Amino acid sequence: MTEPSPTSQPPDPAVFPVHKRRLRLLGLTVEDCIQAFFGGNAVISVVVLGLITFFLVREGAGFLGQNRGNLSIYRLAGLEYVDHLRRQAEDHTALTRYLSDLRLRSLNALTGPGGMELEAANARLAAFDAFASGFEDAADPLRGLVSELSEVAAAIKTRHLVIEDKKEERRQLLAERKLEEAAAVVIPEIDFAAELRPIRDSLPAYRVVNRDLAARLGTLLAALPRLAAPEFQPRVDRFIALARDFLAGFPAIERDLEAWDHTRPVSAGEAFPAFVFGRDWLTASFWQDWYGIVPLLTGSFLVALVALCLAVPLGVGAAVYVNQVASAREQRLIKPGIEFISAFPSVVLGFFGIAVLGQALRALSQQPWLAWMPGFPYSERLNILTAGCLLALIAVPTIFTLAEDALNNVPRALKEASLALGASRLQTTVRIVLPASLSGIISAVLLGLGRVIGETMVVLLCAGNRIAIPDFSQGLGFIVEPVHTMTGIIAQEMGEVVRGSIHYRALFMVGLVLFVLSLSINYSAQHIVRRYRLPSS
Amino acid sequence: MVNLPVRLGSPAVAAPAGVPPVAPSRPLVEIEDLDFSYGVTPALKDITLGIEPRKVTALIGPSGCGKSTLLRCLNRMNDLIEGARITAGSIRIHGVDINQRDVDVIELRKRVGMVFQKSNPFPKSIRENIAYGLRLQGLRDRARLDEIVERSLRGAALWEEVKDRLGESALGLSGGQQQRLCIARTIAVEPEIILMDEPCSALDPVATAKIEELIQELRARYSIVIVTHNMQQAARCSDQTAFFYLGRLVEHAPTRDIFTNPANPQTEAYVSGRFG
Repeated sequence: MTEPSPTSQPPDPAVFPVHKRRLRLLGLTVEDCIQAFFGGNAVISVVVLGLITFFLVREGAGFLGQNRGNLSIYRLAGLEYVDHLRRQAEDHTALTRYLSDLRLRSLNALTGPGGMELEAANARLAAFDAFASGFEDAADPLRGLVSELSEVAAAIKTRHLVIEDKKEERRQLLAERKLEEAAAVVIPEIDFAAELRPIRDSLPAYRVVNRDLAARLGTLLAALPRLAAPEFQPRVDRFIALARDFLAGFPAIERDLEAWDHTRPVSAGEAFPAFVFGRDWLTASFWQDWYGIVPLLTGSFLVALVALCLAVPLGVGAAVYVNQVASAREQRLIKPGIEFISAFPSVVLGFFGIAVLGQALRALSQQPWLAWMPGFPYSERLNILTAGCLLALIAVPTIFTLAEDALNNVPRALKEASLALGASRLQTTVRIVLPASLSGIISAVLLGLGRVIGETMVVLLCAGNRIAIPDFSQGLGFIVEPVHTMTGIIAQEMGEVVRGSIHYRALFMVGLVLFVLSLSINYSAQHIVRRYRLPSS
Repeated sequence: MVNLPVRLGSPAVAAPAGVPPVAPSRPLVEIEDLDFSYGVTPALKDITLGIEPRKVTALIGPSGCGKSTLLRCLNRMNDLIEGARITAGSIRIHGVDINQRDVDVIELRKRVGMVFQKSNPFPKSIRENIAYGLRLQGLRDRARLDEIVERSLRGAALWEEVKDRLGESALGLSGGQQQRLCIARTIAVEPEIILMDEPCSALDPVATAKIEELIQELRARYSIVIVTHNMQQAARCSDQTAFFYLGRLVEHAPTRDIFTNPANPQTEAYVSGRFG
């Protein structure tokens, strides 16, 4: 297009003044500065996010090595050996508990309405009591052995820990270049094989104890007295089956003990599953610390599940009502009302949960006409249900607002088309608007879930903080059990741990799991929205 | 479908499509002295207009003249707009005032279908788009549904193009196909009157030509009211034309008269392109 100009003179700016006149600061125009300001903010947030992730991973990663050490000493000091026996004793204790539960039920049945006097009933159960106490006493030698060996193993572990402390002391002295003092630190070696000899030498004694126990239980079971009430027969049969399983497990325990070798190394691959699948979170224990995330993970999930079960119908229902049915006046009233809930600081909600909701729910659970509800009546005021109800309150505004947006984004044209075909408002909502906004509603629910999983204060105050996997054998009854959660444990224990200790790193690992969970929840929420977005119109 | 709160017209006149329903002396839709306003803003003033059965009536006029508003009065789509209301006058279809309290607006909309300016297929399959209106009425018989789907698509001249992909999403069709799908969806529920609100304004000339052709076919069975900005379109495919200006009906006459021999100088100025 551009022809070479006939004259090669520079253009006169006065003739056609289109050049920019800019104020320059340090060689930058004002526009550049504004751009740099906004861009800089974006960069800072990305960098901070990266740093946080890096920090989490760095602090958490050390856990694996430390947990490996933790598991190694568990084996080296013979704790693992003793735990084999301890587990056997605990299984036996569980069986005796079953027996006493059975006795209580029988007694209640006998003394029930129209039944006999307490004394007469006790007399009827005398034979059973004799059996039960015989059953319980049979394991006394085993328990004696366990406590004896426990002391030995604990002593070895203590010595090992003392040595570890000394090594650490020397390391620090070396780091401070105090070479003489470092050399003065005496570090004795432990000869584990020699130390473990009392434990290993107990094997023949254990064999005798074991054979004796098996014989006594076998005799007892053969002569199990019949319970008067036939309705308990299934339970008695179940007990016999359980007891026989218990007895059948004896040879396996002996084999394990024979094969046990304290020098077998703990591989690096064992430390991670021990965390991810570990069913115990036990810290500051005199015996052995366990860092298993399963109880915390289930706690978090169960609380979130209860919260979502309440929050999804409430939030989505309210969104549908406000968006599809409500008049403009109702909208002006309801929308800020629901969004106002999120103005409550969660610690206030937690406080409310302890002081009011927990009490109220427990009182409600003790109403006879609600006895059909799973887990009712219950006595623990702070549990999954209480925390779930409060978390639902936290999730409702998120779900409501986002679901309402999703409904709002359904093109008006679709609604009109449906109405013009003779659909009622309800039909239009159910058949057109809801399906068209489903992806948005699902992502609203997911973001609500993310909000609930990450919530700390309410669960810390109201979930009961018992670190245990709830008992699912009672069906839905688990919802009234106290649990601890991932967020709760971090908030509770982070302040007390020694920096750099295994416990400290374990908490970071929990944080890392939380981070990954939230990240994937948010990512899938975004993905769902993008994947199923309607063509804009 | 039984127990209508009000029947549109007496049995003698509300005959199924195919039989001449009314005496030519009486228009199908009678709009009388209609005033309409959005809140306090008047949109239509003193409209009196009769719409003949089995004819195409075009509503023309510059933007904001109220022609779309009038169209949306005929199936009461304006009910959705808060504050919009008829302040005076009446609209009667088959002699029934459709703004009476006891008129079931759902029944009304089944009889008075509508095609919108921008094609708005549901995010469902092609088949389900057509079947939607029938399913609303409780029709579940698969064979019967398929039959009506095919008939409606043929009626909208779309069958040959989509017969092999009825199960695919309607959103994958081109703009013109989508608009014909919307017409098919409308005729599936067998309305008497079809309202079209600038149905071609978002389409290219080829797709527009197809829709205009379709309108010519549909006029044999349906009464069509079409709002258009395109003067040629009004001239090509309508029998009657009504010219609106600033909320008033300026002139209503057979299309040929409007375009060749308008009675009103404003009409003449508009159709000859001097303003609008």
